[in-house]
This record gives sequence, structure tokens and C-alpha cells, in this order.
Amino acid sequence: MFSSAAKQEIEDIRTKYPNARAALLPTIYVAQREFGWLSSEAYDAVADLLNVPKATVRGVATFYAMYKQKPMGRHLIQLCTNVSCMILGAERLVDFLKITYGVEPGGVSPDGRFSLVIMECIGACGTAPAMLVNDDFHDNLTEKKLQEILEKYT
Amino acid sequence: MITITINDREIKLEKPVSVLEAARSAGIKIPTLCYHEQLERYGGCRLCLVEVEKMPRLQTACTLMVADGMVVRTETEQIADVRRGILEFLLINHPLDCPYCDKAGECDLQDLVEKYGPGKGRFKEKKRKVPESLQDPVIVRNMDRCIMCTRCVRMCEGLQGASAIAVINRGGHSHIEPFSSGRFDCEYCGNCVSVCPVGAIMSRLHRHSYRPWQVKEQYETVCPYCGVGCTVVTQVRDDVIKRVIPKLGSTVNNGMLCSRGRFGYEFVGSKDRLSVPLIRKNGALAEATWEEAITLVAKKLGNIKSTYGSDAVAGMASPRCTNEDNYVLQKFLRVAVGTNNVDTTARTGFAGAQSFIENIFGQGATANIISGLANSDTVMVIGGDPTTVNPILGLQIRACARRGGQVMTVGEFEGLRIFSPTKLLPRQFTETFLLEGIVTALREKKGLSGANAPLEGKIKSINVTAADVAAKSGVSEKQLAAYVDLLAAATTFSIVIGKETVQSIGGSYKLLLLAAITYLANGRVYLLSEKANEQGALDMGCAPDMLPGYRPVAYPEFTKKYGAVWHAELSEKPGLNLFEMIEAAEKGTLRAMYVMGENPVCNIPNSGRVEKAFKNLDFLIVQDIFLTETAKLADVVLPALGWGEKDGTFTNMERRIQRVKKSVQREGMEDWKIVAEIAKNMGYRMDYTKAEEVFHEIAKVSPLYRDLSYEDIEKGENIYPYKGEPLRDVKEDIQIDTSAVSAAAGKLYLKVERPLFHSGTMSTHAASLMNIYPHAVARIGAGRAKMLSLTEGDVVTVRSKAGALSLFIAIEKAGDDLSVTISNNFESKGAFRLADYTLDQVTKAPCIDAVEISIEKVTA
Ligand code: SF4
Ligand code: SF4
Ligand code: SF4
Ligand code: FES
Ligand code: FES
Repeated sequence: MFSSAAKQEIEDIRTKYPNARAALLPTIYVAQREFGWLSSEAYDAVADLLNVPKATVRGVATFYAMYKQKPMGRHLIQLCTNVSCMILGAERLVDFLKITYGVEPGGVSPDGRFSLVIMECIGACGTAPAMLVNDDFHDNLTEKKLQEILEKYT
Repeated sequence: MITITINDREIKLEKPVSVLEAARSAGIKIPTLCYHEQLERYGGCRLCLVEVEKMPRLQTACTLMVADGMVVRTETEQIADVRRGILEFLLINHPLDCPYCDKAGECDLQDLVEKYGPGKGRFKEKKRKVPESLQDPVIVRNMDRCIMCTRCVRMCEGLQGASAIAVINRGGHSHIEPFSSGRFDCEYCGNCVSVCPVGAIMSRLHRHSYRPWQVKEQYETVCPYCGVGCTVVTQVRDDVIKRVIPKLGSTVNNGMLCSRGRFGYEFVGSKDRLSVPLIRKNGALAEATWEEAITLVAKKLGNIKSTYGSDAVAGMASPRCTNEDNYVLQKFLRVAVGTNNVDTTARTGFAGAQSFIENIFGQGATANIISGLANSDTVMVIGGDPTTVNPILGLQIRACARRGGQVMTVGEFEGLRIFSPTKLLPRQFTETFLLEGIVTALREKKGLSGANAPLEGKIKSINVTAADVAAKSGVSEKQLAAYVDLLAAATTFSIVIGKETVQSIGGSYKLLLLAAITYLANGRVYLLSEKANEQGALDMGCAPDMLPGYRPVAYPEFTKKYGAVWHAELSEKPGLNLFEMIEAAEKGTLRAMYVMGENPVCNIPNSGRVEKAFKNLDFLIVQDIFLTETAKLADVVLPALGWGEKDGTFTNMERRIQRVKKSVQREGMEDWKIVAEIAKNMGYRMDYTKAEEVFHEIAKVSPLYRDLSYEDIEKGENIYPYKGEPLRDVKEDIQIDTSAVSAAAGKLYLKVERPLFHSGTMSTHAASLMNIYPHAVARIGAGRAKMLSLTEGDVVTVRSKAGALSLFIAIEKAGDDLSVTISNNFESKGAFRLADYTLDQVTKAPCIDAVEISIEKVTA
């Protein structure tokens, strides 16, 4: 179930669109924020609130990579391993994350602190390797710098 | 007129269509995969690409509309290349497991690759692998065969309206999901199975059991389940029905089926079928020969008739049997026995409601074409969920909503939830006030035309203000006004009335109010009909007061006329109806009963009482295809041939007479034949050799079916009024029963579930439907469950004044807290065991909406 604040937020969103289906993307985004990820309950909540079939909601949500289809850590690390980053050692960073925090690509650290998603070029090739932690951008990464940054995210 | 040229041929077209349709109309073949004539255009597979002069790129013929002067080519070198390429791509991930796939032989992909495809693919990569899924009860999924044409999704969303599936994920990871995630998501109609061009979604019932090319015969017949009367095609191999499929273009259901119609046929070959007559000897039923059984029945009936008179015998006809069966049974009773004691379970609602409405509007007023619902601009629904009672009719209501029509309900119907934003939810037992309020307001808005004086007389006497309605029913003045505005604005209005309304206290008054709304909004009435031949049984005169064709027995001119054809003198005394039969059996004035194709112990409310009454009879004959609860009480059980094994006709709720055809050969006799044999033994000859001869006689005596033949029916001259005008248009004085009840605080009431996956008890002999809905449950709202500390799957005893049932609990998230919902489909576990009733004085329907019940957890 949505909180009443979230419900209000969705109702506001709904008024900006001609029909319920059109309002799906931003509503799913709210659901993801509220539920942490797109669980079956989250889909139910969106379907019930917008009166759109659940299968349709899920079809739309799974089309996009940025919706979370499984439980996520508190912080999301999006690390690039595409060509430039790879040449400058991104693979080592992946190993480092595994050893230090126990998080594998596509997985969650055992303490639920970090999720790791491997990205295909985030447009920072000039200052590679680079990553996003939640909405924050970090580049010129080394193992040491990576650890310093991540320690700020508890 | 539009002229286009395809492959140098000039084609003239009346209206704009797609290039594909234009080509097909001229017999030019263009290969397609994602196109399906029933579905919305998609343009996804690109297989139908054609060259169009002056257009830079190839175009998809399925989406491109013709324009005057267009020049199209469908077979060029470039097109052949492209087709080859597309098919090669489609096979990148396709498992090519044709030898093992049930679709092989009727697979579009297989056919197209064989015709247009490359001999060999060039891709060496590993194929995507998705394991076969048997998660769903009637559907098997092989998603690695899916070619993403989305036909299934467009079917499920656009036509079925269930929206149970969608394309999940993206690109190479896409697949179709999820079918069964909740009770009402997938309706297991299997319509997606019909349109899937490959073997990705298939019916589990014929999995690995035969190949399409092994089908030797197929028959176009009528579904055995509900009053919609969908056309089905039975495909047969070695006298076994292997598959039931719909037919594209069929009048009633145009290529669509519901779960019962498509997957419910397995009762035909069920191992529980009766095959030899049984006679009660020393208290137990024992096998006997036909000769023994028939002579015994004839002798016993003869004795009872001579000792106690003809009226000590009664018969029950069947809404599941053909017109021919029913006609012969009533004739047997009227002629060989000499009584008008004949009725059917149509009496429990359909019959009374129909004659009530038709007394007001004239005969035939409830015979309306089902597809007309989709073309109405406003549809009001009350008294039952059409999407479960008459599913294909339900689809027409969904279609109405999709075309922008208003679907408005009184009450909450799950199957219409996303289609009917406009609904009124009056408090329990206050529906009448609400309807009175609607009539009052609508009359004020629309005025009276003077066309129907008796009805207007009644309408004028109704005066309930919106404030009153709000106080009593909880429906606010604003809601009511909005509802009435929509009714007043309707130009093509239809109202759909379910059995719950008819079977409620004050039912006939509610029907009057609904007739008034129909009249004021200038609409038509549809009465939901639960069984395949309810209408036909009535047409055949299986009613205590009516001869075939609704000629009253009380009028000597009719009894004389029918008597002359039947060579007998007929009784002019109206017989006993269903409920009077039970009373008479209790009292001992009724001595013998002949029950054909009906299970009254289960299908008449207050089953315990019915059972007791039947035990009180001197002689009970039950003729059926299964050993039902009623048959178990019988003195003689006669096994009959059932649906799929005999010829005949059904008359559906539109009053469309349709041919039911024998698909498989089975040893035994048709119902009419058995009855005729008994008649012969009683000294009255009925020498029909086949069902068609019975129909000839029906066409001779019944003014309704006058001069109709099987050929006429096949030709489509089969819709009411069959030849000429309706019979009569009397507006009799309107009688109503205004009984009412009020809700007692905290009480729980019984609600009868009319599920999608079952119909009567017959469907419980269909293994696949049993897989979907395996046993009786008591459905209870989440709030009430919490109060009673019940959890899903608990065993409870549900008790009423009439009886008690032990059932599993099923918790309904959206259920109300005032009722417990139980279906009446499982023998000895039916809701009717609890349903004590009073009769509506006018419709004679049993009122079962105020049965108080208690519920108690059984501790292990
Ligand atoms: S069986 Fe019917 S309801 Fe279920 S997915 Fe297929 S089309 Fe939809
Ligand atoms: S399952 Fe069948 S109908 Fe549905 S998208 Fe795949 S191939 Fe098409
Ligand atoms: S809607 Fe009725 S007649 Fe049609 S398939 Fe379903 S049960 Fe049979
Ligand atoms: S390759 Fe990593 S940012 Fe471009
Ligand atoms: S049939 Fe035209 S694009 Fe598929």
C-alpha cells in the first residue's frame, strides 16, 4: 500500500496526463522509491491505484533498465567497465568491490549496503574509470579513492 | 471507389482497407505472422513487406492503407530476399524442435520457412533457452518458441479484456508473462492459444496426444455449457474428442471461447459415465438390462397412474438436454401419463423473469442479439457478473466500454472492474430503494410517452427522493444524479439482469423497476442464462401451464389442437411447478417422478429438503449421464447419451436455434429415445427413428418453430421470430411481490458464487476445469476473516437453518464483510444445501439472498 503522501503525489502526476496508462512511468518511479524496488506488492499498488492491469504495469516497467526489478542495497553503485574504463583498470575495481564489500555485479552486499550495476559507458571516458553512486558522479577512480568515497555512504 | 494495382492486376475497392486485405480479397497471397484478422494491426514482424511505387522503402502491407492509384508489387527479388532474412532472424533463437512440438502441421512459422525461408541459418551462437512451463492449469508455455508477434497480448488485452499477459523485458530477453498470478488475471479462455502462430502457447489438454493431421473428423456444434450458445468445433480421432476450438466468423462468438467451452469437454469420455441401467434391489442400485429397466418403469408408472391418477406422476426436463429430448419428455408426460406436471430448473429464475418482462413488453422482448451489447452506448448491469455467468456475452460488454460506451453497474463485478468506472454500491437489502430513486429521477428527466399504459401506471406511483435513497442505501445524491444523467443521455441502452436480482426478496418488484428504467431509457433487456438450453426447454413446453410454443394448457382450443396431433386427450388442468412438486412429494400426493438430465437435489435451493422429499416418493426414475446426487436416490437409473454423442438442437438466450451434432459414437440411447421406448411399453407409440423426425413434429405443432427444418437452421434462418411475427403482445395487468427484508447488524449472509470455471455439476467431470477450480470453498472478505481469525485454507463449518457444510476458507482481498460466498457446483458441497427459501409470489423464483449463516472454525 502507498502512504497517503505518495498517493497524493501520484494523483498529482495523474492529472498531468490524458489517461492512466500515460501516467505509468512516473508512477512506477514513485512506487520504486516507496517500496525500495518493484516488488509484486509495488506492482499491485500501482495497478490498483491507476486501475491498469498488473501485467501491463509490469510489461512497461521491465522494458526499462533503470527500474529495479529486485531488492537493492541502500546505495547503488553504477560502475562503468566499457573500453576506456576497462583499459584504465575498472576490472580491478570490480574485484576490489567484491573483496572489500562482498558485492558482485548485479548483486547486493551481504550487509545490504551496496548494490553494484555494471554500466556500458557513462560518458566520462576522458576521466575514466568512472562511476555513479546514487545520483553522485565520481571519476579518476583508483582502489584507494573508491574506498574513500564509499566510506561516506553508510 | 478506389482503384489500386497489385502485381499488374487492377483491384477496385469500395472502402479503404489495408493493402494486405485488398490483396487477399483478390486472392493474392502475402505472407504474414503478426497480422490476425481479429486483432488490432501491429506491423511488427515485417514479413508482409511489399514494394509500393513512389514510396522509398518497403512497406508493411498489413498496416498500409490503400490509396487511389497505388501500384504495389508483392513478389520481387528484393522482397524474397527480405523475407528470407526476416525468417532467418526469427530462427536465431527458435529451438527448431518441430518433431516434438504439438504445433507442427499447423504452425505458421513452419509453413512460412518451408515456403520462403533459407535452407540454413548462418548463426553459430548458442540459442536462448527457456524451459517449458506447466505452471498454468490448461496452458503450456514454451517461450523459446515465441517469435514476439504479440498476437496473444493483443488478444488478451484487446478482445478478451483480461490483460493477463504482457511482453516482459526487452530485446532478446523478451517473453510473454504471467498468465496466472491472481484469481481473475488469467481467465483461461485459451483465446491466446487460438492466435499464437507458433507452438509457444498451447493447450495442455492435447499435449503430445495427437497431431493436427491426425484429426479425421470435425463437427461444428454448440457449446454444452451456458445460454450464450457459442459455436464450437469438435475435432475427433478414434471416437475421442481431442480438441475443441472456436470458429472464426461464427455468428455468436466469432472465434472466441471461454474456459468452459474450450477446455470443459472432457466430461464426454469421463470414466464416471453411466453405461448400464441400474435398478434398486434390496436397497442398493444394481446393474440391469435395458429391457428389465424399461418394463419396470412402464409397469410402475402404469400402476401409480391407475391407482392414484395421472397427477401423482411428475417429470423434470432439462436445460442441458436438446429440444428434441425435452419435447418428447413433456409429450410423454402429457400423453402417455396424462399430466401437466412438468417443469425445469429454469423455474429457479430464468423462466419467471422472462415471462414477467415479456408480459410487460411483449413476447420476445428478452430475445436480443448478444453482439448488440457491444454496439450499445450505455449498458447497465445488475444481479450477476456477466463475465463469469455468460462469458462471451461479458466480452461484448467489455467491447462496449472499449468503444467508448458507458458500462454502469449496480454492485461490484470483478470481471467488469476496469471497464465500468460508474457503479453504485447500495447497502445490503436496499437495492430496491435505489432503483425506486433511479426510476423517480429518470421519469422526472425524461417524462412519459404514453406508449405502455400499464407500466406507466406503475411508474407514476413510484416516488422516492434522492435524499431518501441516500439515507437508506448510502448512495449519495450526487452519485445518484450522475448515474441518472448517464441513463437519460443514453441513446442505445441495454440492461443486463442476472439471477441474483431474480432470486432476491422482492425480486419481481425489482424486475418491475428495471423494466421501468429500460422503458424510460428506451432500451432492451438481456437476461443472463446459466444453462445451454434453458430457453429451449421452455419453448418445448416443459412448463406446467404451457404447451410447446407457450400455448396455455388451460385453453381448450389449444389442448384440443395439440391433442389432435398427438392422438390423445390432454388435461386442461395446469400441473405442478418445481416447488409444488417438492411440496406434493413431501405430502405424499406425488408418488412418482421422472427426472431427465437434471440433478434437482443439487440444483434446487434447500437441497436437504429436496432430498427428503425425493426419498418420500414411491418411485423415482433418473435418466442422466452421471450418477448424480439425485440418481443415487433413484429406484431406476437410466444412462443416456450426452452432449457430443447425439444430434439435436439447442435454443440460446437470443432465441437462436442451433444444431448440436454428434461427434463421437457411443453405445446407448438418446434421452428422447429412452422416453419413447418407455412410452411404447405403456401403450403409446412414438416411432421416431432420429432426432430430426422429432424436430419435424415440433415444427408442426409449435407455432413458434412453425415449418422450420434442420436445413433452415443450417442456412441461418434460426433467429426469433423464426418465420414471421412474434405471437402475442399482451400487456396484462402487472403483478408484483414487494416483500422486503432489512439487514440485521453483524449478521453474515450466504451469497451464491457463479464461477467462470464451472457450470452446474457437469463441469466437475471435466478434469481440466477441476485443475483450475478443484474443490468447493467458502469465500470470505479479508476483514471478516481477521475478525474470525481465519486464514486461507482453514476448514470451517458453515451453518444455516437449512443445513451445514464443511468447507475450506478462501480469503478475498476485495470481498465484503457481510457475506460468505459459496458456489453450487460441487455435489454435496453446494451453497443450495444452506439456502432456505421463500418464493416470489409472481415469478415463483426462490428468494435466497437473505439466508443467515454462521461460520465456525473446525479445529483438527
Ligand atoms: S487464456 Fe485468455 S485470459 Fe489467459 S492469457 Fe490467454 S487470452 Fe488472456
Ligand atoms: S506467445 Fe505466440 S502469440 Fe504470443 S508473442 Fe509469442 S509467438 Fe506471438
Ligand atoms: S460463453 Fe457459454 S456458450 Fe460460450 S463457450 Fe462459454 S460456456 Fe460455452
Ligand atoms: S567507457 Fe567508461 S565512461 Fe566511457
Ligand atoms: S504481418 Fe505485417 S508486419 Fe507482421
